[in-house]
Amino acid sequence: MYRVWIGCICLGSVLWGCEPEPDAMKLLDQLVVSTNYDNNVNFQSYSTYSIATDTIGFVSNQSNDTILIHTKSEYPRPVLQKVVTNLNAMGYTRVAKNQNPDMRINVYVVNNYNLFQQVVYPNYYYPSYYGYGYGYGGYYGYPYVSTYESNTGSLVVEILDLKTITPDNKVKVIWGAYMGDVYSAIDVIKQSEEAIDQAFVQSPYLHN
Amino acid sequence: MKQSLIIFFLGVAGLASAQDNYFYFNWDVNFPLSNTEWIGSSSTRGAKFGFRKFIGSERKFSVGLDVNWAYYQEYKPTETFQQPGGGAITTDYFNDIFHAGVAASGQYYFPLGNGERFFPYAGIGLGAARNAYKVSYNIYSDEEESWGFLARPEAGILVRLGERRKLGLMAGVHYDFSTSKSETYGYDNFMNAGFQLGIIMMQW
Repeated sequence: MYRVWIGCICLGSVLWGCEPEPDAMKLLDQLVVSTNYDNNVNFQSYSTYSIATDTIGFVSNQSNDTILIHTKSEYPRPVLQKVVTNLNAMGYTRVAKNQNPDMRINVYVVNNYNLFQQVVYPNYYYPSYYGYGYGYGGYYGYPYVSTYESNTGSLVVEILDLKTITPDNKVKVIWGAYMGDVYSAIDVIKQSEEAIDQAFVQSPYLHN
Repeated sequence: MKQSLIIFFLGVAGLASAQDNYFYFNWDVNFPLSNTEWIGSSSTRGAKFGFRKFIGSERKFSVGLDVNWAYYQEYKPTETFQQPGGGAITTDYFNDIFHAGVAASGQYYFPLGNGERFFPYAGIGLGAARNAYKVSYNIYSDEEESWGFLARPEAGILVRLGERRKLGLMAGVHYDFSTSKSETYGYDNFMNAGFQLGIIMMQW
């Protein structure tokens, strides 16, 4: 009989000693917030911006959808409103797209797409879907390097510099916030809003 | 050279002729001593097992093989890290170390009483250690592995449950030093102290 007990003790010890996963509930209750910017840019020289009201982009290699619309999802409006609130608090003024804004704010979700393998290439020109519907041919001089290997669902907020559009109609990203993972989030809207707040908190250079 | 070969063959012959040995399996509690800012919490998730064979009929010396592992983990609350170039990352995270080692060891025993039930011992193990340093944040993780030389002085006691029983208990303390380093996470080496408690199966 004691051999059974010995076996149980040994097996229990082995299982107890095995590598456990970290507590997911602790890790998933807030998004990782990564920000980067072009440190050659003087943000004080920008004053106006434009942003969509109820539509955000959707980049996926698993879906043909290219946008998330307010009427089909509760996600876009509170997210966009949070971006607007923070930009206004930073001293920028929202204007309509046809009022010649200094900056364009792009907000999109990247789904299961290895964004960061592409952005490390200098002067890489992005496919047109990143500029979804705004008439720009792509980005140039993307200014960030990320530590992520891959993302399954990231919320991305970018500031595009509309004051320096190239002759071939390309724009530059001068600030970006990358927040993930939105698909594993416990409360995705609340956590996205908190993440957007944090993105601006850790970017004090944006103050106008 | 000739002398070395003679000593080696005498040693092998001694091992082969010795019959007395024991297996042990211990629960191993460890306390990190290196870079405790990264992980300072003790680990209760560890185990150590091995086989030791006595040399000579007096059961004063033994040699054997020890295998051990320990899992350290520490939660770090939300923090903002400034990146080179001006970026920043904010997250909470877990730091983990999975430590595993294998060592050839030798022990010297100080039998008490009639020399049948209580065997205090002191010894040392020399071998290799592998450490996996891991940071987990949200669904992401970064990991670095390294191997190094392992040295482990150890002291403890074997207690036979009865003079005719083959089952016994083992308790011990040990100090581990390994050259397993991680520049990324600030480890020039990895040191820990541990306490082990478990069972032994004696073959004599």
